[in-house]
Amino acid sequence: MISGEGGNERVPVQSRTEAQQRTDEIHAFRRELQDLERRGVLALTAEQRRALESHHDALLAEYARQFDVDRDAKAKQLSWGMRIASLAGALALGASVFFLFYQFWGRFSTALQVAILIAAALGSFAATAWIQRRDGSGYFTKLAAMVAFVCFVLNVAMLGQIFDITPSDKALVPWAAFALLLAYACDARLLLGAGILCAVAFVGARTGTFSGAYWLDFGERPENFFPAAALLFAVPQLARHERFPGFPQTYRVFALLTLYLPMLVLANWGQLSYLDFDPGLVKGGYQIAGFLASGLLAWLGVRRGWAHVVNTSVTFFLIFLYTKFFDWWWDWMPKYLFFFVLGLTAVLFLLVLRRLRAR
Amino acid sequence: MNWSRRHTLALGAALIVATNAVALLGVAYNRSGTPESELRLSQRELRPPFQWGLQRENSGLSLTLVWQAGEPYGSTAAWLDRAKLSELGFDVAQPAKTPAERRRYERLRSKEVYLVLELAGPAYQAALDAARERAEKRKAEALAHPGDAKLKTQADFSENQLSHEEHEASRLFAIDAGLDAKALRAKYADRSRYAIVRGRVRPALEGNGARVGGYVSAVINDSVNVPLDMRKAFEGVPPRSYGFGPRYAGPEIEATVAFGKRFEPWLVGVARKP
Repeated sequence: MISGEGGNERVPVQSRTEAQQRTDEIHAFRRELQDLERRGVLALTAEQRRALESHHDALLAEYARQFDVDRDAKAKQLSWGMRIASLAGALALGASVFFLFYQFWGRFSTALQVAILIAAALGSFAATAWIQRRDGSGYFTKLAAMVAFVCFVLNVAMLGQIFDITPSDKALVPWAAFALLLAYACDARLLLGAGILCAVAFVGARTGTFSGAYWLDFGERPENFFPAAALLFAVPQLARHERFPGFPQTYRVFALLTLYLPMLVLANWGQLSYLDFDPGLVKGGYQIAGFLASGLLAWLGVRRGWAHVVNTSVTFFLIFLYTKFFDWWWDWMPKYLFFFVLGLTAVLFLLVLRRLRAR
Repeated sequence: MNWSRRHTLALGAALIVATNAVALLGVAYNRSGTPESELRLSQRELRPPFQWGLQRENSGLSLTLVWQAGEPYGSTAAWLDRAKLSELGFDVAQPAKTPAERRRYERLRSKEVYLVLELAGPAYQAALDAARERAEKRKAEALAHPGDAKLKTQADFSENQLSHEEHEASRLFAIDAGLDAKALRAKYADRSRYAIVRGRVRPALEGNGARVGGYVSAVINDSVNVPLDMRKAFEGVPPRSYGFGPRYAGPEIEATVAFGKRFEPWLVGVARKP
């Protein structure tokens, strides 16, 4: 952990994301200061300027040394390329590990298979920790963390296959825990997503079994996902995430997807619901619920300044609306008119959002 | 307490070790003591997978346990009647006459139960007898009407069906289900003929909703892994589809499959018949 000292004030910086945010703020401040001085609004003395510049230079150097942050726009562009390469590399290396084992595991005795699986999980995890100590940028750490997660998933799944163990939703618990541990340790949102998906599947399966169904059938009743959606939405409210600025957004976006996607399914196939009413009635009910939920959550997003909640909710509001339009009008309306109506609703939406933004 | 990298490392390693320990202790418990049942199966009941797609990259071998529930070749079981379904905890007391009543039945989902698998017993004999009777009847009909191509086709089909049942089809039949494994074992005491396994059953409306029946939707542990030291015995055993095909020309296998305390199977031994 390093800290930026401003007089008596200490600003702790604990993650690369925070260091990058502070670097960007310093650059923005310098540009604004230049502009203010050019317009004659503000003039610093030579001593003040020297103190300010030396303070900022020291901070920038420290952030660059500790976290390998992007110092300028060009570095930032390259960083995006590295991020994409890291993501693609993580997925490809994960698949490679899986197929490597798949290709050769049949040639080993059972004891050796088990030993290799456990050693691969432990070894890749230890390698992640080792790389993290040497990798300020975090790209290689995230890549190694993804491989460690795949090794652990493979470990548990293959033990199941080798010993014909009864498939169980309980396997999702250590997978979720391990993915979340790696996500928080390496500031990796991809692994946070993997952990969230495992947790959603587990909560969904448990909810399904409460009603007496077999756990793997949990997808047959989309309502099984609603408790998981509520829990995910609550996580960033209950746990502080100062060191992980992108994590609350990830939790909320997954929570919204876990809510809206099942609602969308039920708004089209009412017979899948737990509700023992006429499927048409259930379908209509979920269509209304979809509009209300996406509208209310978009409003909440505006109130709280959660752009990701607004964007996701508005997108689903439009999807709910367009699927309804399709149901009502696609068959009998001339296609030019159908698309014209869609266009008009988009314009109407823009007007509403502009009014909201102007407030 | 300040969370350090050392804590992360310790927690992650503990998670990996604990998960493996729980899984392996479960395996040891399943295989401890005398097996719950032990069946001597052939290539008719244990089938290797087809080598297509990603399976071609798989160097391991897992056999699929092939079973039948009813006759002919379906998973619908005559013994899964309203009374049995009710015993298994399904709410099937209501009639299924109106669309709303039928919808209620369609909404019922599968349930995990204990299934009894019978090897080459009365259920297999009954399926064999039914196939033989059908083949003889169709043959007689075709002989009575020599010019009728349709009857000739039906007779040939039934003959193939009989041959398949005699030489190819699995002799393992799901014959009963329950929620209490001990009660089932007391009823089916022969552990070399009856295996108790975990399975799933589901109610279904038959004959346009006139009858409430059910079907076995799955045997949950229907995969049997072959360890390296037993692989050789399965060399040359070809994968086959469930329907009729060319007469089996591969080696005859006798594999002993045990089912343990958790009803999970494993291969105990295998031999090629001369």
